[in-house]
Amino acid sequence: MSSGIAGASLQDRKTDQRSSGTDGGAPTKRTPAGAGRRSRRFRREDLIKLGFVLPAALYIVLFFGYPVVKNVTMSFQEYTTKTFFTGEAPWVGFANYVTVFSSQLFTPALLNTALFTAGSIAGQFVIGLALAVFFKRRFPLSSFLRAMLLLPWLLPLIVSSATWRSILDQDSGVLNAALGSIGLSGVPWLTSPSVALFAVVLVNIWIGIPFNVTILYGGLQDIPDELYEAGALDGATGWKAFRHITWPNLRPVVSVVLVLGVVYTIKVLDIILGLTNGGPANATQTLAVRSYQESFVNFEFGVGAAFSNILIVISLLFAIVYLRVNRRAVDE
Amino acid sequence: MRSTTTRDTRPRIIRRPHVLGSLAILAITPFALTACSGGGGAAAGGDAGTLTILDYYNNEPDKTLVGDALDRCADDVGVKIKRETVPGKDLIQKVLQQSSSKTLPDVLMLDNPDVQEIAATGGLSPLSDYGVDTSGFAKGILDAASYEGEVYGLAPTVNTLGLFYNEDLLAAKGITPPTTWDELKTAAAALTEGDTYGLAFSSIATYEGSWQFLPFMWTNGGDEADLTTPAVAEALQLQVDLVNSGSASKSVINWSQADVNDQFMAGKAAMMINGPWQIPALSADTNLKYGSVQVPVNKAGQTPVAPLGGEVWTVPVTGDKDKQAKAAKFVECISSDENQLALAEARFTVPTKTALAEQYVAKVPEMAAFTEQVANARSRTGELGEEWPEAATEIYTAIQLALTGQATPEEAFKQAAAG
Amino acid sequence: MTTTSIVTGGRQTRRFAPVGPRRHRGDRRHLGYTVLGILILAIMLFPVYWMVNASLQPSGNTLTGDFFPVNPSFAGYEKAIADQGGHLVTSLVISLGTVVLSLAIAAPAAYALAQFRFRWISIALLVILIAQMIPGIVIANALYSAYNDLGLLNSIPGLILADASHAIPFAILILRASMQTIPPSIVEAARVDGAGHVRAFVSIVLPVSRNVLITAGLFAFLFSWSDFLFALTLTTTEDVRPVTLGIYQYLGSQVSNWSAVMATAVLSSLPAILLLVIAQRFIAAGATGGAVK
Repeated sequence: MSSGIAGASLQDRKTDQRSSGTDGGAPTKRTPAGAGRRSRRFRREDLIKLGFVLPAALYIVLFFGYPVVKNVTMSFQEYTTKTFFTGEAPWVGFANYVTVFSSQLFTPALLNTALFTAGSIAGQFVIGLALAVFFKRRFPLSSFLRAMLLLPWLLPLIVSSATWRSILDQDSGVLNAALGSIGLSGVPWLTSPSVALFAVVLVNIWIGIPFNVTILYGGLQDIPDELYEAGALDGATGWKAFRHITWPNLRPVVSVVLVLGVVYTIKVLDIILGLTNGGPANATQTLAVRSYQESFVNFEFGVGAAFSNILIVISLLFAIVYLRVNRRAVDE
Repeated sequence: MRSTTTRDTRPRIIRRPHVLGSLAILAITPFALTACSGGGGAAAGGDAGTLTILDYYNNEPDKTLVGDALDRCADDVGVKIKRETVPGKDLIQKVLQQSSSKTLPDVLMLDNPDVQEIAATGGLSPLSDYGVDTSGFAKGILDAASYEGEVYGLAPTVNTLGLFYNEDLLAAKGITPPTTWDELKTAAAALTEGDTYGLAFSSIATYEGSWQFLPFMWTNGGDEADLTTPAVAEALQLQVDLVNSGSASKSVINWSQADVNDQFMAGKAAMMINGPWQIPALSADTNLKYGSVQVPVNKAGQTPVAPLGGEVWTVPVTGDKDKQAKAAKFVECISSDENQLALAEARFTVPTKTALAEQYVAKVPEMAAFTEQVANARSRTGELGEEWPEAATEIYTAIQLALTGQATPEEAFKQAAAG
Repeated sequence: MTTTSIVTGGRQTRRFAPVGPRRHRGDRRHLGYTVLGILILAIMLFPVYWMVNASLQPSGNTLTGDFFPVNPSFAGYEKAIADQGGHLVTSLVISLGTVVLSLAIAAPAAYALAQFRFRWISIALLVILIAQMIPGIVIANALYSAYNDLGLLNSIPGLILADASHAIPFAILILRASMQTIPPSIVEAARVDGAGHVRAFVSIVLPVSRNVLITAGLFAFLFSWSDFLFALTLTTTEDVRPVTLGIYQYLGSQVSNWSAVMATAVLSSLPAILLLVIAQRFIAAGATGGAVK
């Protein structure tokens, strides 16, 4: 990556030579000739470039900076309901983290978080990609159907979880009724510790498919048709076309979808609370659920913050991996 | 590489000010608009004659019923009120946000098990500061609202748990409503037929599951201070037996009390453990004939003890002495005899002043069993105070372990205590 | 440029040409896809159907109900329409505002991170990703205090600003992913012609990124439309109440009116669906507009 400064002045010189008094956009002012001209314009250009990111930077610092700092400091304090009233929060160092790691539920929660995330992402992505490829073809009603696919994403989670609870009910749920009608016995979807996590993953996949389909579809749309036509001339169609044309061109979008998928899924809370509350017998406890319960059920906000910071660290690891992969792609 | 655009882009450019400038304007606009936006913080009601209220009766019919009582008291005390309602499970979150920004309301409604937790923070003012008379109230509810000897709030009405039964289904089998655990087991087994389970209750992995367990635990002599006693395990064994024998659905571990009511109303359960707040819904179904009795006891001679539900009205410390005094009068007014009876009748809850019990049952006979039960009801936080949430978590964890067959009741409580 | 280098990707090239007329390979094949599409949709949307079914049951749940609502009761819908009409408008205004704000902030930033060569791009990306990882409740609590001091509670601009926190980091990321594939030669060509960065951005980059801008805007709309946390935290009165919070009117701590809840959910999905269908039409086949030979 070339240094920003050198690059700017190089481009500058080019523009300098080519533009000749035309009204080429607002920024380039005519300045008296001299050594000052280049450095002033170069600084100004740098400012403009920074100006592109400034609003976003400002927003992120304001809306995310303070909360994240607060969350980290909270995890090192004994933060309870009393703190909200008095503002006092004694420093306890790593005590909260010790509580977290030594809690009986930590390892199961960690494992469940991993399984839940991996299962959800795998399902959402594969099905999402398949649907995106399917809908890339133009057939009657395709854009309407594609829009309707976003419905699961649109429903309030409280409604989705209530509906799924009703569908998955062991006795009167329509899913077991359907299974029964083809001769299979009903499955204790939400009442058996061994099945509950699987059921919750299924529901989360259902919710996540629209997100994946839409972004992947957008990415697919950006691949110009000429590539496929050229490839077809070389004999690459169907699966070969997918491997050699679609997949490489889709890579930046895919990596965004996967990393964001992990970041979002790790945080998932409402759907698990709505379906099982972390049960039965803690079979669907995840780190996010633990964080919520510690903070808002037990009023131990320091411990809850510790849990959510651990989540952030895990997400961070994924993010770093993403950046490595992304940098390699840019350098190719 | 020289290139030409095939399309003349010039007409598409709208003359716009410098990008930075326009973005800066965009950033500043919301803040400029705040000058215009009213609303502001909750305590910004600088009007000395207005009290702010926060409660969780956010849906009908409770919202209007309680709203009427609040309006009546506003007239009595001579103030105007500004009321905020939030969904039930989000109340505490709101309270905490408001306390950290020093914008607590003048009158705060709290669910009774939360009162001691909030009082312990110093955010509530004791009612004795204002000379509020707290005599005549049921002991259980005063206990729940007391912290270190001071009473912090009054509840106009309370509710509890009882056993509802489907009169038709029981009559068809010639069964009378059970009064002991053995009778309960026999009746439930006999009533389980086809799609219908004999009994439904809630054992969900939240405080609701713990709440529903308390009648059985307390009636049998169990105590939340030590959950590893045989009395407590025996109570859990009852539930385990009911589920294992098929008299109760395995789905109880996922049901809230609302789900239990749905099952009962759909005829999928012949009996249910639930509370009187379901009565409006039950009565709305004219085809359903239901009755209610107190929760069954283990051995004849035991007194059925059920937990106390209900909301307490408190006076937060806002720093404004005059308003706090007015708020205290307001709280006193909400629990006046007249309001207690009005609220109790409308919402199917039980008045907290023991003297009103007879009068009440005469007016609302369906509430007879519950009124009797309230006399012996116990508050969840009466003994453990702020330590109650831990105990409640242990209870529902143990229930879940036992009902999913992962541990016997004794082991389940031991495991839950360790976690 | 050889065919192989185009096919194997690597340095992305984007060639634009007016798309020729599609050759239909027979309507029958296309209809086959339509049928398959409808089937897929039916499976995916079955729970939605179940929800609609529940909303039409008199009891508000499907325990007593049948597979089809044979005796539909519209009580839930009547109530929902009566109560939630204004809230739907509020949600709409807030969501559209969020789209505008998010795109205005995210698009330039995404372009800069995609095409400008800053030394600190990795750090910036990391920061943006971290921003996505923060639990919403943490942000909500911090915002409550701040908004209270600034008087932004119960205000539409306040909610727009807050809801944008869902959308901006995400928009930056997907916009950047797409803008990375814009060949710098196009932009350079414009700059050589005398356009500054801003003008190049507005007249070259934005039109070319139309698809992904629409996608990002779509998600900004959906994130904001379905936000509950900020709606709950940043409002204290009924003045400004998005529909996600309005739904809680029917969900009390002890009694719930599920048919009204489901009816509201159905009704609140309709405007969003309409917008989605319209927006999806704009994500047309391939890149169009502007051509560089």
